[in-house]
Amino acid sequence: MNLTTSHLIALLPLLIVGTTVIVVMLGVAWRRHHVASATVTVIGLNLALLSLLAVLNVTPLEVTPLIVVDKYAVLYMALILVASLACSTLAHAYLEGLDDQREEFYMLLLCATMGGLLLVSSQHLASLFIGLELLSVPIYGMAAYTYRDRTSLEAGIKYMVLSAMASAFLLFGMALLYAEAGTLSFSGLSARMSGGELSSAWTLMGVGMMVIGLGFKLSLAPFHLWTPDVYEGAPAPVSAFLATVSKIAVFAVLLRFFMTAPATGDGWLHTVIAIIAFLSMLVGNLLALTQNNLKRLLGYSSIAHLGYLLTVIVASDGLAIETAGIYLITYVATTLGAFGVVTLVSSPYQGPDAGQLYHYRGLFWRRPYLTAVLTLMMLSLAGIPLTAGFIGKFYALAIGVESSLWWLVAGIVIGSALGLYYYLRVMVTLYLHEPGESRRDATANWGQRSGGVMVLLLALAVLVIGIYPQPIISLVRSATLITAG
Amino acid sequence: MTLLLIVLLPLLGTLVPLIGIRAGRTYCAWLTALLPAVALGITLYLAPLVFSGNVPQFFLPWIPQLDLHLALRLDGLSLLFVLLILGIGLLIILYARYYLSEQDSMGRFYAYLMLFMTSMLGIVTSNNLLLLWFFWELTSLSSFLLIGFWSHQSDARKGARMALTVTGAGGLSLLAGFLLLGQIVGTMDLSVVLQSGDQVRSSPYYLYALVLILLGAFTKSAQFPFQFWLPKAMAAPTPVSAYLHSATMVKAGVFLLARMFPVLAGTDLWFYFVALTGLVTLLYGAYFALLKQDLKGVLAFSTISHLGLITMLFGLNSPMAAVAGVFHIINHATFKASLFMAAGIVDHECGTRDIRKLNGLWRYMPYTTALATIAAASMAGVPLLNGFLSKEMFLSESLDAHMLGGLSWLIPALATLGSVLSAAYSLRFIHDVFFNGEPKNLPKKPHEPPRYMRLPIEILILLCIVVGLFPSSTVSGLLNAAVTAVVPAGYEPEIDLAIWHGFNLPLLMSAIALGGGILVYALRHYIYNFHRQFRSQDPNVIFEASTQAIVRVAQQAIDRFENGSLQRYMFWLLLTALGFSAYGLIESPRLSGNLPAQSIDWAVAVGAGMLCLSGLATVFFHRRRLISLIMLSVVGMLVSLAFARFSAPDLALTQLAVEVVTMILLMLALFFLPQKTPKESSGRRIMRDVLLAGAFGGVVASLNYAVLTRPLQSISSFFLENSVPGGGGHNVVNVILVDFRGFDTLGEITVLGIAGLAIFKLLNRLKLFMPSSDMEGRPWSPERFPAILASMAQSLLPLALLVSVFIFLRGHNLPGGGFIAGLVAAATLILLYMARGVEWAQQRLDFQFQPIAVAGVLIATLTGLGSWVFGYPFLTSAFGHFHIPLIGDVELATALLFDLGVYLTVVGATLMILANLGKVTTPHRPSKEKR
Repeated sequence: MNLTTSHLIALLPLLIVGTTVIVVMLGVAWRRHHVASATVTVIGLNLALLSLLAVLNVTPLEVTPLIVVDKYAVLYMALILVASLACSTLAHAYLEGLDDQREEFYMLLLCATMGGLLLVSSQHLASLFIGLELLSVPIYGMAAYTYRDRTSLEAGIKYMVLSAMASAFLLFGMALLYAEAGTLSFSGLSARMSGGELSSAWTLMGVGMMVIGLGFKLSLAPFHLWTPDVYEGAPAPVSAFLATVSKIAVFAVLLRFFMTAPATGDGWLHTVIAIIAFLSMLVGNLLALTQNNLKRLLGYSSIAHLGYLLTVIVASDGLAIETAGIYLITYVATTLGAFGVVTLVSSPYQGPDAGQLYHYRGLFWRRPYLTAVLTLMMLSLAGIPLTAGFIGKFYALAIGVESSLWWLVAGIVIGSALGLYYYLRVMVTLYLHEPGESRRDATANWGQRSGGVMVLLLALAVLVIGIYPQPIISLVRSATLITAG
Repeated sequence: MTLLLIVLLPLLGTLVPLIGIRAGRTYCAWLTALLPAVALGITLYLAPLVFSGNVPQFFLPWIPQLDLHLALRLDGLSLLFVLLILGIGLLIILYARYYLSEQDSMGRFYAYLMLFMTSMLGIVTSNNLLLLWFFWELTSLSSFLLIGFWSHQSDARKGARMALTVTGAGGLSLLAGFLLLGQIVGTMDLSVVLQSGDQVRSSPYYLYALVLILLGAFTKSAQFPFQFWLPKAMAAPTPVSAYLHSATMVKAGVFLLARMFPVLAGTDLWFYFVALTGLVTLLYGAYFALLKQDLKGVLAFSTISHLGLITMLFGLNSPMAAVAGVFHIINHATFKASLFMAAGIVDHECGTRDIRKLNGLWRYMPYTTALATIAAASMAGVPLLNGFLSKEMFLSESLDAHMLGGLSWLIPALATLGSVLSAAYSLRFIHDVFFNGEPKNLPKKPHEPPRYMRLPIEILILLCIVVGLFPSSTVSGLLNAAVTAVVPAGYEPEIDLAIWHGFNLPLLMSAIALGGGILVYALRHYIYNFHRQFRSQDPNVIFEASTQAIVRVAQQAIDRFENGSLQRYMFWLLLTALGFSAYGLIESPRLSGNLPAQSIDWAVAVGAGMLCLSGLATVFFHRRRLISLIMLSVVGMLVSLAFARFSAPDLALTQLAVEVVTMILLMLALFFLPQKTPKESSGRRIMRDVLLAGAFGGVVASLNYAVLTRPLQSISSFFLENSVPGGGGHNVVNVILVDFRGFDTLGEITVLGIAGLAIFKLLNRLKLFMPSSDMEGRPWSPERFPAILASMAQSLLPLALLVSVFIFLRGHNLPGGGFIAGLVAAATLILLYMARGVEWAQQRLDFQFQPIAVAGVLIATLTGLGSWVFGYPFLTSAFGHFHIPLIGDVELATALLFDLGVYLTVVGATLMILANLGKVTTPHRPSKEKR
């Protein structure tokens, strides 16, 4: 096939981010400058975001057999870019205090972002794998970035070892599928499946192995074990990145895979995925009950949220894409906001992050607006009306009810009730009168720094989406997937 | 529009107290009361319209995609509730003015209260299921704020949290129920839903919808077994209890029952779920109300009991019972609110709510005593008061319930029992507190409360009496209007609100209830003694204990699974994956496929055996890293041999070269790493790991076997067929690299070049300390560059370079190519660097590697561009055969030029990276940490 201009336009976001990586890298090699690196990163990400407007003119377009750029991909690219923008601004605030090399962080972040962009537009198992590795490998480095802090180093190593194992499963699953179907493209697989040419047992095995690999990245129970440790140990902006960009990208491609090639059929794998979803809701929420560390708590809560989201895959019907889009948008805005506050309180870097709940005791009396933001995020995570989280939860429940998935509906209800309990605990802590023993506060002028502005914007977004979600809904509705090969 | 104001005014009212508090406490109260009063006026203004059978509606689109709109309606039922909410709300505002102490933030309290009022009004006027739910959740939240108002008390915080958790969970299940209901009917519009009763009842999803919605209603209205949160919520300030837990919030649940009555009621399921739950709650609450020693506890349990009564009435499936239910909602709200306020006065003036201390208060507060007595009498069902009327309707309806067949007599019997207990605890409330001796050790000297604190009670008591005396002229209009909204059209019963129906069975039951109540009260000490035999099974304790148990289980799960140990995580991850795949294997029909088994190739078998052994040895010797590394190199070697054996010489060569380079890197890394590896695994753990790894290997091997015995299509045939006609080369791998996938290769070498440059720059300032002795303290040999190696490397160099050129040149047709050749050259050069040291080598190889890499990329790009000159697309390759004398037929392809670029880039980039690694060592120990 030949590359034409419109193909290049469709690839613009990838190309721009890739170029930014090189610019940042060469810039660092030439001369270290923290603010300059951060600025170049932010400019690159914004340019990529702007380029999406141009991309919209050429969608849907198959760029190679590996990559398809449709509206679905564009939506998730936008989400990934916004999330990594937020993470890089937060990282800037955070890294200012780090007495070490700070600039490489942006390189890693951009590389991972590129992996995410590739993932959401991949329509082929090969590009899926490349994208996933490109997304994951830089995160090893990011998680261990403040390596003088033992927990951070430990987080990086844990993530690396376990992630490598998950990738092995993924690859093996793909190999099985390939051996069975002789093709790696989603549409090819779909054709083979609907043609009934595949022996279902081996296909299911292959897809099952892939689910293990992807379930690990999505931190679904029972593959979630790494999540709290890594979230706790990694620097807060990295945890935010892990909880958002990584999850969006992997989920988007998983959904595309299942929507294009309905691989689970009615076999046992469908039940297994439903069990995974239910288990994630339960485990995430139950284990969060005992947590005294906000970052760990958010880790468990993300397990639960991904469990809710997995209902979409189990249902796999017409509403699925819309639900996933809405849920991910609301989840990302909220999670970024929550981790944003944690980052600001821990910024600039001064040893391990302020993750313990007692760090936040009585925060209201010291940083009232920041506390208000965190409260809003907690409410949104709990799915309280008038916040973005409610819209997401509404969709998740609606799709569960529509597809008569009673167990999952029960899971969402019970899980959310448990969730209410521990989110409230955090909120109550914030407003207690007695101050905590050790004080970690955001800098007094946090609201005027880029990270602070980002957090305030996120809070605004959470409110606006909660009160007036039409624009988001119509946006997501327009983001259709092309399923034809 | 006027309808919207009813909800909107109190919402605006949340801001008033926050601002008005600056004007002083009394003004603040008055200002706060202003907007609800206006709203009440509007409601009264609209009331005649409703009485005449109209239903004012309001509609404003909000989120059409979710079918959620700001749709309001004011039918009879809504009107009744709006009047209750606003009317009692105003009285509470007045009462709270005197109840709250100086330290309490009055502005905050009123703001919460108004927020709650708004959400409550929203529930009762919503004309959209989702909007209703939306306000429902808002009541949970605002009640959380109100219950936890005294946030310094851990009791209040716990109570608030429990209330929110229980009602919030119920709320979510309600949402699911509404979504299902909306799906059955096809819209969330309540007016349509109310008309679709038959459709809903015949739907296959009816059961699910019913259960989900009832869960919401029962949690909110504290029905058994969810009743436990209500007594706990008594930690709230008394005005809150009076408002939320008697008149409004807990009524939201029964309101929902009334609202959904036309849609969901009328089936046996409804009766069994609703009526029986109500009956159990009625008895349960009544019994415990008799036992509680806390004044508000008594009231809380009596509220539970009365809510059970109302629930049961709605569950009886008869229109008349529904009327009685609605009527009792009004009556209960009036007398219970006044009782709560009276309890609040007692608490306020005496400083305690303990019934054992409170006695004989009539001497100190005779007026309050009188008011409380009337309210309690109404609660007990004494004639001429409103409570009597609805209770008698309840008793007569219980006689008409025949759903239990031969056991139907149980229902009136138990209903009477409930009434007996109700009379008993009412009597206890009055007699124990206000009479019966002298108060003991009161913290304060009691006296009558301020005038205006009593006023709300007086108004409510007046209502009790007036309604009790002249029911038909006071409430029948309201009741009629409400009933038309509850009962399906055409079934409206004739409402007869007379006080005297003649001597009949219900009257007898009422009489039994009162008489029995007095008797039970007289014998209460026997009941106390009886009850003492049981271990106190406080549901709060059970809830707390179960919460604790859940937390404990969670903690155990964390300790077991998530103790921070990577090995543990690996173990569980592998174990689950093993479970999955083993299950998959069990499910699959047959392991071996259609292909016949091939005969065993002994060379391969031996190689495979060695591969396994060396893999095992790598793990086995992992603590002795050098040996382990050597074993690893054996693995690499065998893999390359395997490639060679399976006719992929290109891959074999590449693998070999890569293996060498990797080994060198690993050796270098080993040099810097700590030399000792502590022993970490116990024998048991090793055993476990061996078992797990063995099992996993078995599963994976089975899968591989299954795949290998099945026919396989691959893409290789395309390249095999096209490599000579399309690319002019017999070496397919090389043709793919430089021709079919030329563009990819160009990209790759560019990346390689850039990466090399970046690593070169980044390593520039890195300094690592060079250890001078090994793990046992023996110094490393001072002779850093052994002579044998040096001379060998030096003599090998020209040979190896020659080999690399040879491999490069023949690459297009025979195994070889630029990439491999580049690696071979690089490996040789690195050997020289190692043997002679960086300085020595650099002096002799007096050129930089960066330009070589850049030149490589440039050559490759220019080759690609060259094809443009001849009018072909980028990177089109051309080839031709030339006859050179003496040498023979020679094929030259532009691809060769491209390959040269690859060759140079590989050499340049690899050496940039590796040659400089030698320079990072320094014999000088750094002066500790720089920081």
